[in-house]
Amino acid sequence: MASLEIQNVHKAFGPTKIIRDVSLSVPDGAFVVLVGPSGCGKSTLLRMIAGLEDISGGTISIGDRVINEVEPKHRDIAMVFQNYALYPHMTVAENMGFSLRLARRPRAEVTERITNAARILGLTDYLERYPKQLSGGQRQRVAMGRAIVRDPQVFLFDEPLSNLDAKLRVQMRAELMELHDRLKTTMVYVTHDQIEAMTMADIIVVMRDGVVEQIGDPLALYDRPDNVFVASFIGSPAMNLLQGSIKEQSFRTADGASFPVNAATATAAAGKSVIYGIRPEHFTLGEPGEGIEATIRLFEPTGSETYIAAMVGGQQLGVLLRQRLRASVGDTIWLRIDPAQVHIFDAATDQRIAPR
Amino acid sequence: MNAPAKPLPSSGQLRRKRQALDFLVDAILLVFGLMMILPLILLVANAFKTPAEMLSWPPSIIPANPTLDNITAVLSDTPLMLWIFNSFAFAVLSAMAISITSAIAGYLLAKFPSRIMNVLFAIILATAIVPFEVYMIPLYFQAQSLGLLNSLGGLLLGYLVMSFGIFLVRQNVIHSIPDELLEAARIDGAGEIWIFVRIVLPLLRGALGALFVLAFFQAWTAFAWPLIVATTQPSYTIEVGLALFQTGFTVDLGRLSAASAIVLVPSVLLFVLLRRNFVEGVASSGLKE
Repeated sequence: MASLEIQNVHKAFGPTKIIRDVSLSVPDGAFVVLVGPSGCGKSTLLRMIAGLEDISGGTISIGDRVINEVEPKHRDIAMVFQNYALYPHMTVAENMGFSLRLARRPRAEVTERITNAARILGLTDYLERYPKQLSGGQRQRVAMGRAIVRDPQVFLFDEPLSNLDAKLRVQMRAELMELHDRLKTTMVYVTHDQIEAMTMADIIVVMRDGVVEQIGDPLALYDRPDNVFVASFIGSPAMNLLQGSIKEQSFRTADGASFPVNAATATAAAGKSVIYGIRPEHFTLGEPGEGIEATIRLFEPTGSETYIAAMVGGQQLGVLLRQRLRASVGDTIWLRIDPAQVHIFDAATDQRIAPR
Repeated sequence: MNAPAKPLPSSGQLRRKRQALDFLVDAILLVFGLMMILPLILLVANAFKTPAEMLSWPPSIIPANPTLDNITAVLSDTPLMLWIFNSFAFAVLSAMAISITSAIAGYLLAKFPSRIMNVLFAIILATAIVPFEVYMIPLYFQAQSLGLLNSLGGLLLGYLVMSFGIFLVRQNVIHSIPDELLEAARIDGAGEIWIFVRIVLPLLRGALGALFVLAFFQAWTAFAWPLIVATTQPSYTIEVGLALFQTGFTVDLGRLSAASAIVLVPSVLLFVLLRRNFVEGVASSGLKE
């Protein structure tokens, strides 16, 4: 086990910069998720940690050792790929024992480690099968088993659940978290799925265009996004973001709709043109005449909650209510907003405006 | 339960129709199959006929007076077995060389792309459109200056590399070996040669099997190059040897048939042995499992 330190790392393919000045410190035993839209550089960063891509600048260290120039096989890492990358002509046991046999470990030790990993992953009955005889979930487990037997200092996962169907993904997510609890090894996990990131991570790293937008624990990112991108990326359904300005201690859109803002933030942002953020689940239903008047445009009851697309002036807002509601399209409802739940961003820089 | 009665007989009709169609297809295939195999059967039959019967019309499929004269004559008058051995050694070595060079070159071209590799690949493809006859004579002089005339080495000179083989392997690698597999092996601690031998080659078994058969028959049936590079009887390949039976004025049909029938044996045997590989290889280059 070891910590992972990434300092001012760059990556460029010719003139194209893929990773720009990324720094990240992963404590020993942490589960870190790199998340972002496709093309944000998260997979490239992971591959740089693995040694599959050269590092154009900066340093990456595992423990106390700088590994920039170290070959992948000597970095003491294990990687799980999206398409499993199992050797098709080898059995499950051979796949899992491949690295140990390459390292010329004694046969008894190889067998023992394979047996152990197979027991942890529930693969004991499949050791003599070939990958093509397994289901997607089983293949992914074999890929994890191959990583586990090596007992590496750092596990790297590159979108390991993307090829599985939704139900299996949820199940494997839980198994992965269990595995992390059990092994307590440092894990770096890449995904584009923010739900996966929120549910699994100790630390989330949100990336965009090769830049780290924010690092923090999942709920901190949800509660206090540093900028508009993180605000819109984390949380589902996505945060409502409205353009406008702060006037007289409240937020006004161009078409005159007015939304509450807490006093300290309003003072900090006074007169500025801002972006107003409010999550769909932070609306509550008000009595007629109380709060903001809205017209229902879309009404989706799911049983446990009700999702509404509501029009306020010319703006459409997503509203998620944790209650049943008798209403239909075209009805008027009144929405209450707790100013403490409101996020204000500077429209010029997209950065969060925090009260001083 | 209350299913309409009509579909039942109609499904029977459908089955009969399908059976009739199947029968028709079988019949057509059978006729074409016979047409293709008939010359071969006649060839084998001719080997056992007397000169008079060979020229009689209509030709008989089963010889009236079977004789072994042709075969014994061929075997005693000419070093037929030596020629077969020459051809076999030439074909096997050529097929092995082509399989190895194609596997290495195809893999490198597929998995280590760079501008230089692309240019190399274009050049390799371009060589495929140059007919062998064009560079046959310069190659001959090369063989001569290397002192390889009348030897197995000289025969092999033009048959060590096959541009189509490189192309076939390259396409197969791109198609069936994902980068992640090689990366996983690198992380697992395998070196590049190890990866090639233990991961890539086993996965290319089908394609290389097909290529081996293809290359074997290319060398086995080669004529022009062996004809000019092998000028002494003991160094002939069987193709060149067979041509001896035809002179400018006569064709010794009986011996030619006998020799050809003997020559058929190894090639048919090899195809039977490698048939599965061959079919798999050709199929896998077009279809994915």
